[in-house]
Amino acid sequence: MKRCVLGLLLLTQTFLIPQISFAAPDATDDAWAVLQKAAQAARELSYQGVFVYQSGANSRSVQITHMNYGQGEYARAIVLDGSPREMLSQGKDVVIFTPRNEKVIIEKRRGQNLFPALLPANIDAIKTSYQVRLGGVERIGGRDGRVITLEPKDKYRYTYKFWADSEYGILLKVMTTNDHHEMMEQIAFNQLTLLNTQNMDWFQPNINYGKEYVMEPVSPRTTSKDADTWSVTQLPAGYRKIEQVTRMVPGKPAPVTQIIYSDGLASVSLFVEPLAKGVIQKVGHTAMGATNFYANVNNGHQVVVVGEVPEATVSQIAGAVTFKK
Amino acid sequence: MKDQVSALIDGELSLENAEHLFIAINGQGEAAESWTTYHLIGDVMRGNPIFKSDFSERLMQRLDVEPTVLAPRAKKPAVKTSMFWSVAASVTAVMFVGWVALQQQANHGGDAPSVEIAQNVASEYVLAHQSFSPSGGAYYIQPASYSENGD
Repeated sequence: MKRCVLGLLLLTQTFLIPQISFAAPDATDDAWAVLQKAAQAARELSYQGVFVYQSGANSRSVQITHMNYGQGEYARAIVLDGSPREMLSQGKDVVIFTPRNEKVIIEKRRGQNLFPALLPANIDAIKTSYQVRLGGVERIGGRDGRVITLEPKDKYRYTYKFWADSEYGILLKVMTTNDHHEMMEQIAFNQLTLLNTQNMDWFQPNINYGKEYVMEPVSPRTTSKDADTWSVTQLPAGYRKIEQVTRMVPGKPAPVTQIIYSDGLASVSLFVEPLAKGVIQKVGHTAMGATNFYANVNNGHQVVVVGEVPEATVSQIAGAVTFKK
Repeated sequence: MKDQVSALIDGELSLENAEHLFIAINGQGEAAESWTTYHLIGDVMRGNPIFKSDFSERLMQRLDVEPTVLAPRAKKPAVKTSMFWSVAASVTAVMFVGWVALQQQANHGGDAPSVEIAQNVASEYVLAHQSFSPSGGAYYIQPASYSENGD
């Protein structure tokens, strides 16, 4: 894989240098290579550390243990502040334990890019939407981090600033900012060490015997002809459909269709449902930390868009829902 | 007792020596609870197909007699709310945008019976959004409806 990337880099240099010699391709390629290494390091290395997530006035410390000795990825993340939420993952399967009142709710998820494995495994996926800039070296959590900035080519995504460990390659810190240079979210390691053991004793949840463990209620998937009456015509550039589900949601008479879009880093969900008579319509825009919401009513349907993206993105996607006449 | 149940499930305790455990498990006590819990966790981690058919049925039955998560609860204390709707500035922005939205609705005429500002829909949809596409960090902060004081 690394060889392949190197080969690609060499190829691009050989063929592109004559045309774009003014664009300093070496520095750009170096920066992308640092990000590609960060994406791989987070998945291939075995490490343990504590990082802090911050969004607006909210912050949480999380302890993470990640192991990969060629047998696949195993990880455990424990939220250290507030409710002791816990996540265990094996490969792409994630199981989350969330204490709630007298119970512990168990959720199953699939394939997420969670910090520090935030970047897509193949970095090419984001090259069309962002420009890269290589910065200096700054100290994060006692380690040296190389600064890389991803600047969006349009208004439909945030700016990402990464600090990649100079030695391990892994991301030490990520910060997203909006177009006013205001911080949206930040995740940074306080401490990070590589693991030298293959002991797997840590890979189990803390079990609270006083509580009952139950699976989260999952609304059954269904199909709906209603989803055929509309389509999304003009997505913001770089965003593509990741998944589409239609399901019955408790308290709603008609099924809700959810489509998830991503540009490789940021993700957005679109919800469309037929508006039942007497149901309160939702209209307007709201922001909460990095998350933007946009709701409107279109052709008798409630449209809601939610994502960790700028307002322009959620409103554009909501507006792109077109009903067939 | 719990340790023994655990050992039995892991196959470290022979069946002959576990007779008392089965009796206890068949009862309704603590041992029965931990038996279920251990199996549930093990099944979830393995993605056991048996677990899906049998357990979810039992769960659905139990859920029938329980209030739905989405059902409105008692109003939570203001302090807790402010932890989630944290930034005062953004609240102001919401109110402003909300006002604009209401104005627009009014101009469109009376075919809209009632309109709710998007602020109130946040937790329900952000939950569904995160369950499919959590971003790097927001995952660690639960949406309001997910907390014990959620609405």
